[in-house]
Amino acid sequence: MSTRARARAVLIPAVAVLAVTAACGSDDGGSTGDGGQIELTYWTHTHPPMNELNEQLIAEYEEANPNVDITYEMIPNNDFGTKMLTSLSNGSGPDIINMDDSALRGEYIPKELLAPIDPAAFGADSVEELEALYVDGTLDGAKGEDGTLYGVPSEFNATAFAINTQHFADAGLDPANPPQTWDDVAEYGQQLVAAGHEGFNFVYLHSGWYTQQLQTLLNETGGSILNEDGDGSALTEPESVEALQIWYDLIREDQVGNADTASREATSPFEDFASGRRSMTMIYPWAVEQIAIDNPETFENLAVVPLPQVDPANPSGRWYGYYFAVNKASEQQEEAWRFIEYMTSQSERWLEDVSFVQPLQGWEESPAAAEIPFLEVWSQAYQQGRFDEVGPHWSEVQDAIKAAIERSIFDGQPPAESLEEAAESVEQSVTS
Amino acid sequence: MALTRTAPDRARGTRARPPGAGRPGWRRRRDAIGLVFALPALALFAAFAIYPMLRVFQLSLYDYNLTSPPVWVGLDNFRFLFGDDRFLASLGASLFYVVITYGPAVLLALVLALGLNNRMRGSAFVRLLYFAPVATSWVAVSVIWRLVLQPEGLLNQTLNTDIPWLTSSTWAKWAIAIAAIWKEVGFFLIIFLAGLQNVPKDLLEAASLDGAGALRRLRYVTLPLLKPITVVVLVMAVIRGFQSFSPQVVLTGGSFGTEVINLFVYKTAFASARMGRASAVAVLMFVLLLMVTFVQLRALRRSA
Repeated sequence: MSTRARARAVLIPAVAVLAVTAACGSDDGGSTGDGGQIELTYWTHTHPPMNELNEQLIAEYEEANPNVDITYEMIPNNDFGTKMLTSLSNGSGPDIINMDDSALRGEYIPKELLAPIDPAAFGADSVEELEALYVDGTLDGAKGEDGTLYGVPSEFNATAFAINTQHFADAGLDPANPPQTWDDVAEYGQQLVAAGHEGFNFVYLHSGWYTQQLQTLLNETGGSILNEDGDGSALTEPESVEALQIWYDLIREDQVGNADTASREATSPFEDFASGRRSMTMIYPWAVEQIAIDNPETFENLAVVPLPQVDPANPSGRWYGYYFAVNKASEQQEEAWRFIEYMTSQSERWLEDVSFVQPLQGWEESPAAAEIPFLEVWSQAYQQGRFDEVGPHWSEVQDAIKAAIERSIFDGQPPAESLEEAAESVEQSVTS
Repeated sequence: MALTRTAPDRARGTRARPPGAGRPGWRRRRDAIGLVFALPALALFAAFAIYPMLRVFQLSLYDYNLTSPPVWVGLDNFRFLFGDDRFLASLGASLFYVVITYGPAVLLALVLALGLNNRMRGSAFVRLLYFAPVATSWVAVSVIWRLVLQPEGLLNQTLNTDIPWLTSSTWAKWAIAIAAIWKEVGFFLIIFLAGLQNVPKDLLEAASLDGAGALRRLRYVTLPLLKPITVVVLVMAVIRGFQSFSPQVVLTGGSFGTEVINLFVYKTAFASARMGRASAVAVLMFVLLLMVTFVQLRALRRSA
């Protein structure tokens, strides 16, 4: 072989290796482009009305700030938590995230994946000054155990109850006299079933949904998932068993709904209600807009009423929120907070366009709030809520709860037995 | 005799050798050049296959949650898994899936291959039909079967039943097995057909002349000659079975007793961020599959 041929034989593969190596290493995740251009990435879950408004607001922000490019990604709901956690953990996540409070408090904050809030971006001199802008307690969903604040709400939700007034009329029920207790739901539900509708059902999506609905019932019965110290399970306590028993009785004993035929489409969680198949459901403010888009006819017949209670004299509810937060690994934290400030400054549009409540002081008196239907019901619901429990390895706890609910509701295992199995899994998850 | 063997060899060698091949060190240089050419592929294989595998072995001995530095825990991850109900349940789900899916699928593929091995009109088209599901992605197949298996889906309508195929611990694993058999039969069918093409016709004719009927020819000629192919099929069936992930994710999300081992690994690693424990499961599965394959190959040798 000639010298030239030998050189070629060595150089070509070497160049190929270098090219591959360079290609693998070229994307350093940098967010500053040429000429001082700032590139931000922003991820949310999928909720079409919210996605649309996000796109509008991003376009406006980019127009007002020509040096900023924002890449917006919508992640399918079932993959959202996993993808976000994995990407943030390995340092490749977006600059800006919009995530629910359980994930923030259960995973992201303890793992130190988020940047503490920058009050200056909001025109505040201190975090306390920023907090004073919001209704008391509503920022707790984005706080660490030491009280550090990591985000501001993009949406803040309380739980109420939706009824289809046409279905009520079909069954000879008075929509002005909605169910006040779960026993009423059973009674009304059976009448609605007799009238050819699915009376009531829960939503069967991913483990987060299962857990949040059980949590709503636990808040009412006085039960809980974890014990007071947070290092063991309280699922076998009578109050906790009672919560799942309510669910079990409604679906398996009173047969007001069929879990086997329930929709499992996570992009549209209230599809069964919106489609006009189901008569009653638990509901959150954001779902009202989606029902209006999915089926205007159902929206015409929609009434939002207070959540049925175990003890109407001592009403209870559930709060949850999604919060804008910034990736601790982001190199553009200052600009990211500025963008978030813009997003939260549009709270009226969030309320008007997508029924998202951003709980700034006096939000109920705003012109936009006056336009939202059933404001008095929502206002009441916001008075009586509390955030969900969280603990170590919460996704495993949620999986255990989902499995327990499925054993009871789909397979018919008595709630006490099912929760006993779940309790073992929960204890193992939080202690190992 | 020696002359007649060496002369052509030498002649062939002279023709095939490149110039300078006889010079000392030529073979070493040729090997070095070959190695250089293979280097990019080897580098990629090492970076994306060997290194991750070695890292998995290493990580199985650590507690690692992606955000904090790994902490050495020795064999704790393995100890935990042997007492973990969820892991044992997922192992059981995988074993069930392997046996209930791939047992019938392999048997059905063999029967179909025997039927389709004869040249008859339309057999090529029938083969294509059976192979079509193999060429379709698992996700697409699962979406189709989700429609079929719905409470008011095609299967219940055909059987005139109201079985909750995908929302019951009794039925969900069978439902997934039905879908998987439908998809996988074609894969093994093609392998068996290839094996059957190699069964010598003269042996079958000789058996016929000796008075052997179709069943005896199958039992004493065809099946023994298919044994090597059958072992390959069984090894592949076990490996494919334990690798299953997509049908369980799409059809049930791992609920109702269908959380197979790969789904458990995925959730442990990426939802719970317990990378060490997930790696330990992967190592255990590696060892298990290695053992199963070894046993299958030994059984083949013994029976050969």
